[in-house]
Amino acid sequence: MFSFFNFGKKKSASVAKDRLTIAIMSDRDRTNGYPFMDEMKAEIMDVVQKYVGVRGVEIRKEIDGEIEALAIDVELDKNA
Amino acid sequence: MGIVIAVISGKGGVGKTTATANLGLGIALNGKKCVVVDFDIGQRNLDMILGLENRVVYDMVQVMDGDANIKQALIKSKVSPNLYFLAASQTKDKSVLSSNKVEKLITDLKEKFDFVILDSPAGIESGFEHTIEFADAAIIVVNPEVSSIRDADRAIGILDSKSAKVKNGEEVLKWLIINRIVADMVESGEMLKSEDILDILDIKLIGKIPEDKGVIDASNQGKPVVLDKKSIAGQAYTRISGRLCGQKIDMQNVEISDSGLFKRIAGIFR
Repeated sequence: MFSFFNFGKKKSASVAKDRLTIAIMSDRDRTNGYPFMDEMKAEIMDVVQKYVGVRGVEIRKEIDGEIEALAIDVELDKNA
Repeated sequence: MGIVIAVISGKGGVGKTTATANLGLGIALNGKKCVVVDFDIGQRNLDMILGLENRVVYDMVQVMDGDANIKQALIKSKVSPNLYFLAASQTKDKSVLSSNKVEKLITDLKEKFDFVILDSPAGIESGFEHTIEFADAAIIVVNPEVSSIRDADRAIGILDSKSAKVKNGEEVLKWLIINRIVADMVESGEMLKSEDILDILDIKLIGKIPEDKGVIDASNQGKPVVLDKKSIAGQAYTRISGRLCGQKIDMQNVEISDSGLFKRIAGIFR
């Protein structure tokens, strides 16, 4: 009886799995950004380091609708 | 030297604090010295779940700032002499944590305890990052529900990029707890199966916890559900605690309801 009512209709759990797989794949792409991220981080660090001590650089690719941006955080080293 | 485990989730309200309290107590009941630390600054809750809200005098921020020493701030559990608790600060200022202070606190606790369990704040902001930075392992708590799983994946991503262990070229251990499983719904295809969740998140499972009214009953009383031998969630926490203590305990299939199990057994004789 159960299968009769659900005939031809996809179960919601499998819909959830499909939707999640796609959403998470695109999330991962955005957060991982570009393959050259690490190299770029190192270069930014070198440039800033010429002027002031740096503890670390964090780069994130942010997408908001049509706009794509790189958010770059440079954490300074107070002790340097 | 103890192991430091951060309990994280991504999304709030999935049962992180309940998991922290029950795993801490479960581990203590296994004879290991364990401390649970509430890192959810501004939203102290672990004290309520443990039934220790009236005992809090000093919090972890006061310890970090040197206004209290660790001995004064550690609160001993009423149910196990092996379990201690360190409360979160109720300050609204979440910027009170700094990496250096957190590292010192965790190093101190690691020397005194076999297990240091950190209850992370929800979300993926600075409080979360401080909780995971010096952890050896993370337990990720999810519900079988899309938003919780998606947010967990983001939290895992941040764990992989901010963990001090990963930065040193080591591995941070990751274990998944799937909480609030409703067996009937999994059987009828209305709730994600644990295999599907593991496929999507690609991490190791450490336990599955069925939905259980006993959890709220336990939190009402401030007695973690792991103490309730009849509770199916309590039993699940006992099994996970045993696994964390190195025991080999088979994964139980909590995704089969009693009626489903009956049907299956009936099927054998058909």
